[in-house]
Amino acid sequence: MGSRSCRCSGEARTPPGDRDLLRNCQRAWRTPVRSANQQVTIDVQETTAACRDAFAELASPTCIHDPYPFMRWLREHDPVHRAASGLFLLSRHADISWAFKATGDAFRGPAPGELARYFPRAARSLSLNLLASTLAMKDPPTHTRLRRLISRDFTMRQIDNLRPSIARIVAARLDDMAPALERGEAVDLHREFALTLPMLVFAELFGMPQDDIFGLAAGIGGILEGLSPHASDSQLAAADAASAKVKAYFSCLIQRKRTDPRHDIVSMLVGAHDDDADTLSDTELISMLWGMLLGGFATTAATIDHAVLAMLAYPQQRHWLQGDAVVVKAFVEEVLRYDAPAMFSSIPRIAQRDIELGGTVIPKNADVRVLIASGNRDPDAFADPDRFDPARFYGTSPGMSTDGKIMLSFGHGIHFCLGAQLARVQLAESLPRIQDRFPTLALAEQPPREPSAFLRTFRALPVRLHTQGS
Amino acid sequence: MRVMVDQDLCGTSGQCVLTLPGTFRQRELDGVAEVCVATVPQALHAAVRLAASQCPVAAIRVIESDAAMASAPAPTLRLLQRTPSGMPRKTNTI
Repeated sequence: MGSRSCRCSGEARTPPGDRDLLRNCQRAWRTPVRSANQQVTIDVQETTAACRDAFAELASPTCIHDPYPFMRWLREHDPVHRAASGLFLLSRHADISWAFKATGDAFRGPAPGELARYFPRAARSLSLNLLASTLAMKDPPTHTRLRRLISRDFTMRQIDNLRPSIARIVAARLDDMAPALERGEAVDLHREFALTLPMLVFAELFGMPQDDIFGLAAGIGGILEGLSPHASDSQLAAADAASAKVKAYFSCLIQRKRTDPRHDIVSMLVGAHDDDADTLSDTELISMLWGMLLGGFATTAATIDHAVLAMLAYPQQRHWLQGDAVVVKAFVEEVLRYDAPAMFSSIPRIAQRDIELGGTVIPKNADVRVLIASGNRDPDAFADPDRFDPARFYGTSPGMSTDGKIMLSFGHGIHFCLGAQLARVQLAESLPRIQDRFPTLALAEQPPREPSAFLRTFRALPVRLHTQGS
Repeated sequence: MRVMVDQDLCGTSGQCVLTLPGTFRQRELDGVAEVCVATVPQALHAAVRLAASQCPVAAIRVIESDAAMASAPAPTLRLLQRTPSGMPRKTNTI
């Protein structure tokens, strides 16, 4: 296993001695021992050297299958990890939540003139250029100006107003799945429901025909992979081809909304742009639409998948989906904590000064990423973190545990996920209905994982109805 | 007790509105949070302190009472105590 995993990106440049060290280190964290309660724990070798590149390790088949043992190893042995590429990766809850809150202060986004420094391939990549103009890469006051333009469509009241139409889409999707399930056939819940629901909601928000969103959606996974810090040149090229299609589509949609404005986000943004290009430039408009498309549904789909899997894996916890909104909310938050869809932050946080964290100095101008999924499983924040337990979030403010710890999946600070509440409402409207409609739902086969280090999701989630005697 | 939202800082996440919908609301125009009560009733004091401590951008300021303003503990104190040791601490508390 150790030698196979050395295909990771650092190998070609790694001197032979270091390569042995790398193998040893990987063997060290991958040697599982069984503890008394039969949970897999990691053989703790205090002398173990730091892992060479956590991003490469997260892309290994072992981590695609289950990244949490490696994340535990990182938290315990290398919590302020410096990857071979020079990126830093924080894996402890306290450090991650601090970095989130310090964004805009101790950390900033890359300045426009520095893009090439943090994204060496930016000059020839459309995707990286689009990324550079998204909200997530901006600092105040630009960030504040752009965020407030779209915030009015994401207020809690606006999202609440969408509930009836989300509920309608949920019911219609479940109706569509019912005949095949009732005939005893397997249905791919990932494609038929988890992906389709957020796509249809997105189409409604953007005022797009449904067919158009299905056409665009096919390229989203490829774009997300291309944006990963370790994407190959060919992955980036594929991302750029897909981004070019998205860009062309949105240019066309903008023209349509300009001549025929409706009550949707695109019409509103086009109006803001046409009123005053200082408020929203051409580049910012396209980047913002592109960014919302990327963030809009792959993450929600992954979380719906994980929620359904949690329903099936922990039947004793299903009562959380039978109660009122407070009870359902606790289940949704625990799903989000237990399986963060975005494993690490996709945008650079640039250190504004030398920052000492846990004895490691992060030098000024370093690109710092946070391993969100690891922070969510940090026992210092969530007791017995590998146990799925919605009670952690019962009766609390959204995203806060009963101990006042932050569930990190939506981030925190100025870049707190714009669509957080929209995602929560989609989950809350879906899960009780799925359970109600298909109480005997079961896995038809083990769902295949998407081999992505960044987005923890599935290629398919085949389900069927469990019948007597089967 | 009085509570204020620093509207320059507000990140429009709406978390305070979800926590205490009767105390906070979002402006229709841009999603910025505002306070919709003049004073906070006693029964909600703890909840308002919690909402302040949980604001993603620490934009909520709690004024326990006019007399205590100078010495009142900062509403974000609980969060600050959790910053990793040795880290520079934020100073923008009241």
